[in-house]
Amino acid sequence: MKILVPIKRVIDYAIKIRVDPSKGPHAVQQANVKMSMNPFCEIAVEEAIRLKEAKQNKDDEVVAVSIGPKQCSETIRTALAMGADRGIHIETKGDVRGDYIDLQPWGIANLLKGVVEKEDKVDLVLLGKQSIDSDCGQTGPLLAGLLNAPQATFAAKVTRGDDGSFVVDRETDAGTETIKLKTANVPAVITCDLRLNTPRYPTMPNIMKAKKKSVQVISLEDMVKELGLNLDDVLKPRNQVVEVYEPPPRKEGEFVESVDALVGKLKEKGLVG
Amino acid sequence: MSTRCRWILFGQGSLRNIPATTRAALPKSVSSLSVFTITDHHHSHQETRHILSHSSFFSRDFHESSAARTHSPDKCPSTPCRLPSNFLSALQSRHPELKISTNPYDLDSHGHGESYHPSSPPDAVIYPSTVEEIRDILSLCCREVLDDESDSANKDGNDKLTIVEVVSVIPYGAGTSVEGHLNMLLPTEDQILQVPSSMFTGHDGSDTHRTIKIRRRGGISIDMSNFQQIGNVETGDLFVKVGAGVTRNALNEALRHTGLQFMVDPGADASIGGMVACGASGTAAVKYGTMRENVLALTAVLPPTKILSSHSAAFSDIAKPDIVHCGSTALKSSAGYNLTALLTGSEGTLGIITDCTVKLHPIHNNVIAAVCAFDDLHTAAEAVTTIRMMGIPVSRIELLDEMSVHAFNKSLQCTERSEASKEKDSKLQLQPMELKPTLFMEFSAHSEKAVQEDLSAAQIICVDDFDGTNFVSASDEETRQALWAARHRLYYSSIALRSGDGEREGATPRSTLLTDACVPLSHFADILSATARDVKELGVVGPCFGHAGDGNFHCIMPMVESDTEDYRKRVFQVNENLIRRVISVGGTCTGEHGVGYGKKKYLERMYGKGGIQLMTSVKKALDPWNVMNPGKIVDL
Repeated sequence: MKILVPIKRVIDYAIKIRVDPSKGPHAVQQANVKMSMNPFCEIAVEEAIRLKEAKQNKDDEVVAVSIGPKQCSETIRTALAMGADRGIHIETKGDVRGDYIDLQPWGIANLLKGVVEKEDKVDLVLLGKQSIDSDCGQTGPLLAGLLNAPQATFAAKVTRGDDGSFVVDRETDAGTETIKLKTANVPAVITCDLRLNTPRYPTMPNIMKAKKKSVQVISLEDMVKELGLNLDDVLKPRNQVVEVYEPPPRKEGEFVESVDALVGKLKEKGLVG
Repeated sequence: MSTRCRWILFGQGSLRNIPATTRAALPKSVSSLSVFTITDHHHSHQETRHILSHSSFFSRDFHESSAARTHSPDKCPSTPCRLPSNFLSALQSRHPELKISTNPYDLDSHGHGESYHPSSPPDAVIYPSTVEEIRDILSLCCREVLDDESDSANKDGNDKLTIVEVVSVIPYGAGTSVEGHLNMLLPTEDQILQVPSSMFTGHDGSDTHRTIKIRRRGGISIDMSNFQQIGNVETGDLFVKVGAGVTRNALNEALRHTGLQFMVDPGADASIGGMVACGASGTAAVKYGTMRENVLALTAVLPPTKILSSHSAAFSDIAKPDIVHCGSTALKSSAGYNLTALLTGSEGTLGIITDCTVKLHPIHNNVIAAVCAFDDLHTAAEAVTTIRMMGIPVSRIELLDEMSVHAFNKSLQCTERSEASKEKDSKLQLQPMELKPTLFMEFSAHSEKAVQEDLSAAQIICVDDFDGTNFVSASDEETRQALWAARHRLYYSSIALRSGDGEREGATPRSTLLTDACVPLSHFADILSATARDVKELGVVGPCFGHAGDGNFHCIMPMVESDTEDYRKRVFQVNENLIRRVISVGGTCTGEHGVGYGKKKYLERMYGKGGIQLMTSVKKALDPWNVMNPGKIVDL
């Protein structure tokens, strides 16, 4: 079984985002800010490793792939430390922004399609349901469409059947849905939601071991050429960010003197019948 | 009825968490409104953050301690502010961005920790972001005033009497203290002292003395939650520098990809600064040590030593207290007086810690958890002592008595739990445990072989030498969680032993006496058993458990409002008895929780008059005006 896990390097979820409105669409400050693996991508990596551990098959492989600047290699090393077997780093120039300004889901999905085909015999592509910087949630479904692959999004549980199919529990607003994805010549594409698992913290020995695992580094330009794609198609944004601004500061709450007054206010605001 | 209410409104929840009196007053139509209060400790830290970050009424004052609860709103005070009239305004004009609150809820929540000690709120809460702001605040805390009282005093007396107004200060971390550290206890009487004139900032150089009358003018809480910096960990270094307000869970989350973790685990999500100030410890101490062994360096702002003369400019350099850098990031140092140790455990009485450099430890690959039951508590404790004597490395070793196990079993049957927590329990396949004193162990090592050897060595001792039964071990994460569930949930399941019955409120952390004592291992079995026996004989609810590998144990005694005076007396009697026994065998009246004000009386028994004198001298030297957390550890 071969599982491909695309991962994205984003601003760490615990960091307070700083917005400089004078920078227009580039308002979100990325310089000198702590970056980490997108939390949903971490969940995807964890799930891939669990699927591999469940089968205990020596030939099973989890491949982490990331598209981004030089520092993405650190993010890939984290995936390797968690248990992925090897990595592919498609390196972009330092000034190319991954948070929906330059690289966008359409371009990424096209690149990933190429990687899937080049890798050959990929059984599953596991992605996070969305990244926390762009919050698009599009890369997974776009990739499935390009590959003509069966897909299930917002997975809360994934199991592999003996016939090679994947059974996914999806969380939706209406309830939980169970879907079976049959894989034949194309991999299944599954995007992972919060409650799928709790990612492990890599241990120190595994971090050390990860340094020896192989990471293929290839520039974006070279990869595009190799895959027979058009660089413009990949890099040109489909959507243009017009404006970025912080939401207005929260207004201070009101104090009320009694429960009656509280109920009155709630009625006033139409929150209570 | 006038009930002031504080609500966090969003998403799903249940009306059950609203105090009964308030719930009764809401019209039926409000059942469609959802209110969520953060009391369910079963939510993972990540989930709670996720939920909170999406709420539209996110209260800034919520701190991420899963046990933090605002106390009943009925008890919020609205007492007049005791601070000097221009204290806050002077600070605000100098630092317009500085957040200052006199909101009664902020005051109340900053006037208590998580213990039975009732709230004694400060007169204001200040939220500084820089060390300079703290220095400015402290420089105003001891000021000469010229007013009617000083005028009349000088008219009557022969000597000039100078009035000095002192504002007390308590630094606030995450509010998880369990010995009343955060209670603002002000000296009730004004002191009259003779001091050298050189103690005044406007000193004229003469070698004279002045008579001063110290007038206490309330107190402030300095909330350190803006000190959130987490430094980078250089490859090869086993430490990190953090702001005092960083909580230990936030620190470990930030470190999650480094392979290193901060290994002092007091259970609560305390702030690092608070943990240093109170000398915190926890289940991992048996292998990794307490806070004492894990802090390498720290920065602190010292209390003001000079009195700000009425004609001196406020905030001038001469008035500002010193900053001290203690310790070094070298793993060993023998350079001068150990100032880091002095401030560790000083409970906010000697200064305000602003940042700390703490040790980190690598996470091992191989972890095994194990559980074993014993016929009686004494035998179980002896097994632990033997394991330690044999030098078998254990990462954690905790001993729960029968009542603690019973608390866990009872909690499994509790129907009033959230769906999420019931789901989690069934996933872990939790079963009630055998009603016997039980040992909970954890082993970790750098290799599979090593950890297996540690495990079997401990197993042989437990089972063969001490007739332990039902020795079970596991290495996968989920089964380990399941095996340790009774220990992880101990605090809340113990408090839930005295749950409410729909009409009357049950026990809460705020109505629970949590004892803490530590003895040499040779006495551990005897003292622990004697305490458990006391609990039984005095007829109180009091599960006992111990960080057995250190000889440190606690008794959790929840109380409810309807308890009789006699019952409460018996609860406190258990504590008195156990401390008496502990000190008589050379132990300490507090292993981890600190002295606060409730345990001051035991210090003389432990250290003798000389010891108390020395501590008083230190306090006087650093904080002559008793600005910092008065009434704790020693009295001036």
